[in-house]
Amino acid sequence: MKINSILYDTSFKQDNIRLHSESHNFREKNDAGLYEKDRGYNVYCGSFTGKSKPAATVLKKNFFDKILASNWFGKLAKYAEEHNISASALIALVLAGVMRPATILSLPGKEDKDDKIYAAGHAIASGIMGFAVSTAITSPFDESIKKIFDDKKFRREKFKAIDDRIAELTAQKNIGHITEAAKQELKNLTKRRETLNTLIKNIPDWVIGVPRAILTIALIPPILKYVFGVEKKKKSASAQNKSANTINITEPPKMDFIDKSVFEQFKGGVK
Amino acid sequence: MNLTVNNTLPKNYGYTNNNNRFKHQQAFTAKAQVPEELINKTMKEPSKFFKYFNEKYDQLSDFIAEKFTSRIVESEALTKLADRFKNSDNFYQHCLTIGSVITSGLYVERTLNNDKMEKDRRNTLAVNQGLTFVLSTIGAYALDKYLKGWWNDVTARFAGHLVQDSNFYEDYLKQKQAVKEENIKILAAAKSKGVKPELKSMPKVTKLVEKHSYYKTLLKSSKDDAKILMTKVRGMSPLRAMIVFGFVYRYFVPVVVTKPANMLCEKYLEHKKAKENNIKK
Repeated sequence: MKINSILYDTSFKQDNIRLHSESHNFREKNDAGLYEKDRGYNVYCGSFTGKSKPAATVLKKNFFDKILASNWFGKLAKYAEEHNISASALIALVLAGVMRPATILSLPGKEDKDDKIYAAGHAIASGIMGFAVSTAITSPFDESIKKIFDDKKFRREKFKAIDDRIAELTAQKNIGHITEAAKQELKNLTKRRETLNTLIKNIPDWVIGVPRAILTIALIPPILKYVFGVEKKKKSASAQNKSANTINITEPPKMDFIDKSVFEQFKGGVK
Repeated sequence: MNLTVNNTLPKNYGYTNNNNRFKHQQAFTAKAQVPEELINKTMKEPSKFFKYFNEKYDQLSDFIAEKFTSRIVESEALTKLADRFKNSDNFYQHCLTIGSVITSGLYVERTLNNDKMEKDRRNTLAVNQGLTFVLSTIGAYALDKYLKGWWNDVTARFAGHLVQDSNFYEDYLKQKQAVKEENIKILAAAKSKGVKPELKSMPKVTKLVEKHSYYKTLLKSSKDDAKILMTKVRGMSPLRAMIVFGFVYRYFVPVVVTKPANMLCEKYLEHKKAKENNIKK
């Protein structure tokens, strides 16, 4: 039996080893880039050379770039464009359901701990309700808009005429035979179409604004009670009398009015 | 019989050891054993429940598109509105503000019709709520405008990742700088001549992406993927407005503004009450 010992070089090389006897021309025609120095790895032994241009770009990425390059961020950007109302409610959920409770609970003051827990629960419930109601109601509308604007289905006469005109002018532009007036017309039509798209995506938000707010106000107490186990504690009669007796115009104003329901409900702004 | 043996295992494998290397190879082999078709089939095909749900959802959106959305799109009022605001840079912000006006209006209306409160208190609270809304909206617009330039840079960076071009962001910055310098010259020339300057607009990321070779190739090979890429780039603009307006309305106002505003409101009521008492005496 003859045993041949060969030496495969599998060490951590910084470049590929050119052990080939083919002519230079043959390599250029047939190597499909195997001999390129910036491939980043040795094609024969698979070791990392550390010279790859794409790899170097990846290595340069900082934390911010990692977020931007991540899959979830791309999905968020796409969702923000396609579902304006739902994405807005999602951002509100993060702000009102995570950041606001965290801030409320981290504020100093041990006396009003229960109030803080209630306020934090209220913020979370309001965020969840806003997102759930907005998404459930507006998603089919968004889908219908997508079908008309992107998939070009269900278009009626006027809108179809605009789309056809845009297609015609775009074709003229692509072949380079377009007048200045036609260029301006294309710009105007495209902008009007985009504005119409944004407008129609946001109309459901205005329509559901009032019922959603009423529903949120009505459902927050039961959600707080049965989901979070938090209930608004009523002040004892003695405490109320005490506070009523001690009202003095020279004293700093009491903050008990904040506990009134009207303040709890007022969030200002969206949803 | 010939037997060939490789007797030189790597002594130093750089950043990893030999054990890890073998583990890695094993893991790769295991993955390769699962047929690719099966993976694709499992990933693409929804379960029966979701299939039924998707069908119903599709039917519902078809119905809305045919009976409602297509008619609204054609309406005269919307066409006029779209025509009126087609050149507005803040159109989505206006949409957010209209939504907020409706919601805040509801709260103001509820305060004004709250029988459990005195009339004076009701009115003062309603004014407080209205003023808080107006000031916070102005703040939201200002913050949005302030962040716009920076966010455009972020969008260019994001687009660079999408078109897999590490130079995209740098190219965008160079173009932006060139336009800035040109605008300074135009401004100086217009000032000396005493005419209104016609400034050049800043480079738009969407336009740069449209001209990029990666996007053009993608458009030829897969229109759907190209559309998704462009949707992601376009989504950055509403995303900024959502974050800014959401931050102001849902975080800054309730946490920072509401309490001091209510304190001022209560102080005003106390002061008014004291004044009335003094007049009665």
